[in-house]
Amino acid sequence: MTATVVLASVLDLRAAEPLKGELLAARGQALTLDGSGVERLGGLCLQLLLSAIRTWRADGQALTFINASEAMTTQWSAFGASPSDLCA
Amino acid sequence: MSDDPFEAIKATFFQECEELLADLEGNLLTLESGSTDIEVINAVFRAVHSVKGGAGAFGLEDLVRFAHVFETLMDELRSGRKPCDDPTVKTLLRASDVLADHVAAARGAGAPVDPARSAGLVAELEALTYGGTAPVAAAEPEEDDFGFTPVAMDLGAFEAPAGLPDLPDLPPLPDLAALAPLSAPAPLPDLSASAAAGGWKIVFRPHPRLYASANETGLLLRELARLGPTRVELDDSGLPLLDALEPTDSHLIWTIELDGDASEAEVREVFDFVEMDCDLSITPLSGDGPAEAAPTAVEAESDASALARAASSELDIAALLASVGAAPTEAPAPVAATPVVAPVVDPVAPPPVAAKPAPAAPAPVQAAPAAAAPVTIRVDLERVDRLINAVGELVIQQAMLAQRVTESGLARSSDIGLGLEDLELLTREIQDSVMAIRAQPVKSVFQRMPRLVREAAEATGKKVKLVTSGEDTEVDKTVVERLSDPITHMLRNAIDHGLEGPEERLAAGKPAEGTVRLAALHRSGRIVIEISDDGKGINRPRVRGIAVERGLIAEDAVLSDDEIDNLIFLPGFSTATEVSDLSGRGVGMDVVRRSIQSLGGRISISSVLGKGSTFTLSLPLTLAVLDGMVVGAGEQTLVAPLAAIVESLTPSEADIHYVGGVDPVLRFREAFVPLVDVAQAMGFRDQPAALKGAVVMIVETESGQRAALLVDAIHGQRQVVIKSLETHYRHVEGVAAATILGDGRVALILDIDALVTAKRSRTPSRSDLQMAS
Repeated sequence: MTATVVLASVLDLRAAEPLKGELLAARGQALTLDGSGVERLGGLCLQLLLSAIRTWRADGQALTFINASEAMTTQWSAFGASPSDLCA
Repeated sequence: MSDDPFEAIKATFFQECEELLADLEGNLLTLESGSTDIEVINAVFRAVHSVKGGAGAFGLEDLVRFAHVFETLMDELRSGRKPCDDPTVKTLLRASDVLADHVAAARGAGAPVDPARSAGLVAELEALTYGGTAPVAAAEPEEDDFGFTPVAMDLGAFEAPAGLPDLPDLPPLPDLAALAPLSAPAPLPDLSASAAAGGWKIVFRPHPRLYASANETGLLLRELARLGPTRVELDDSGLPLLDALEPTDSHLIWTIELDGDASEAEVREVFDFVEMDCDLSITPLSGDGPAEAAPTAVEAESDASALARAASSELDIAALLASVGAAPTEAPAPVAATPVVAPVVDPVAPPPVAAKPAPAAPAPVQAAPAAAAPVTIRVDLERVDRLINAVGELVIQQAMLAQRVTESGLARSSDIGLGLEDLELLTREIQDSVMAIRAQPVKSVFQRMPRLVREAAEATGKKVKLVTSGEDTEVDKTVVERLSDPITHMLRNAIDHGLEGPEERLAAGKPAEGTVRLAALHRSGRIVIEISDDGKGINRPRVRGIAVERGLIAEDAVLSDDEIDNLIFLPGFSTATEVSDLSGRGVGMDVVRRSIQSLGGRISISSVLGKGSTFTLSLPLTLAVLDGMVVGAGEQTLVAPLAAIVESLTPSEADIHYVGGVDPVLRFREAFVPLVDVAQAMGFRDQPAALKGAVVMIVETESGQRAALLVDAIHGQRQVVIKSLETHYRHVEGVAAATILGDGRVALILDIDALVTAKRSRTPSRSDLQMAS
């Protein structure tokens, strides 16, 4: 069973708390994150997504990003985060 | 400067805000005029960013919130993700108005910002930023969800750090202005190195507070990337698993290698306002810089904040010295021994408790900009005025000395005479220089007008373009300040009454958009402000009709066009049949005229039906000195303002006639002008002067009326220092001010208008005038 979370367009300070909630709610199953609508990615949400990758890996579950928007991939890389995480 | 360093810094912040807002509006107007220069967009971004940064440091939440939304859109624009088109710029302009309101409200100088208006603009800005899709969090109703936590300033940090060792015999502090680029992490002797040839290594770890105060790492990284090619490395080794991760905590560390020739100041400027909310280390890339420790919580203190603190509290001398690297050898050993590295490690720093929440300086001293900006200092106006006063006394003293020398019979060519001449030149030069200190460009007033025009246009539904020129024209600060109200009123008037609506304009064959021009220029030692519109011009029959209706003129009065135009300056005249919100606030043009006259200025109007009207204000450049004609009347010495004098002549008995056998008039160039015997009008004597040997000055009042002033003698033309009579005594009818002459006597400066008007309207009250003598 795979859960899908559609990421909000603006992942800033205000989006961090709800994002964590959504991610935690999907815990325990494979997770697909749809980044098609992402326009802005901030440091706090980046942190949550990186932690999610780590958490899902620890759980032995798959976490996949799909349809990452151009803005998302650009900003992801600009943060120095590994692009392969986004493509995996 | 206030005793409270916190308040002083806050005051500085608001001063900075004023400049930033002015720049902001100026740049937005440049964008509005069609410029797409990325530098202009950048400048707008920086201005908003700086306002936000300073506001964050003072916990001005509303201001930060609004500035943040504004800044976010600016970031979209400068990255090119959103087009900087006309509707966007129009919205930005309105946003800058609201931003200014927020600043004014935070300062306590303005009414609280209308929440609906602010929220409306926030929505507009966000719509532009996110292309119509509201950001996810915008759906959340509670503004508190924004998560803003004000970053409180710790007042304790301004107090003298406990245990600060005495620093005896400090060498004189270096020029503060020269310090900015000095704290580069270069070896000690090379204080001038501010650019590292090989780029910079920046280790950056944001604190949760950085995000809470609406800052964003992504933005900072992008800012750095603008300075040169960057390699960004992300260390997420400290990142916990999801359930242990507080969404607002900060666990990531970035290491950025920046290539290129950016200076340290430029790099630090990126971290302006967040430097207290992060661990930051900036070291040269070239390798042989001091081995930097991992970015532990070292208080990285920028030049700007170090200077600001030192300058404001004058307590943190040690920190200042450390940042300069010019520690005296007498100072405690660590200061002298430690090569200065960045971040500045203050060896005599206050205990950590006090140091930790050290305040983010609200940029009272901007990090040294790349371009050589003019070096300026802020000086208390009171000090300048004291200096001006002293120079005024010097001028008077010099005149007195000159008179004594003349009286003692010394030749002008004598050594003393020649020396005195040099002194006179020097005095004049000092006086001019001192006056120049108070001189300010009228820009500060002009810059407020675009907003006013926008709002007036909106309120009337008219399309208006404001064209300004001569913003750099300089005039005394007092004059500048008092220009604002009359110009505001006249611009409103021009838009409300002068310009036609779009349909009416199109029907008249004019473009739908009306043009209002505001110009400043110097003309013969005065400043002239012109406000003109291309509207319908003055409807003279209507103006005349109203004046008759209000009983201001007789029905059969014969008036020239000029005289009819000038009727609008009469008290009680208002052509608006309905009181409009805009200019019909019970303040007529008569009030404008009076306020201009109180500045020693005059106002005139010219109008062409169907083409528009032009109001011209002419004002003295300063209110401190006056070019005057020194005259004698009834044993008294008086000064008549030179600007009012048209010419002087010796009257002949035949030229004087009496209207009704009482009121004397002088025949002058085939016209009769009222003759005022100054000594009699002022109450110096009861009998009319003997005409023999008397002199007449033909003067012109502000309203253009001519009159002849009869005086006993003209002593000469002189520049006099104006001393207010009201401050030292009280207002006296017919007297504008006083001055002190070379012989030490007080001379009254005539108020020409009052003299002439009093003559026309009533017999002067003897008791009033007796006081003046």
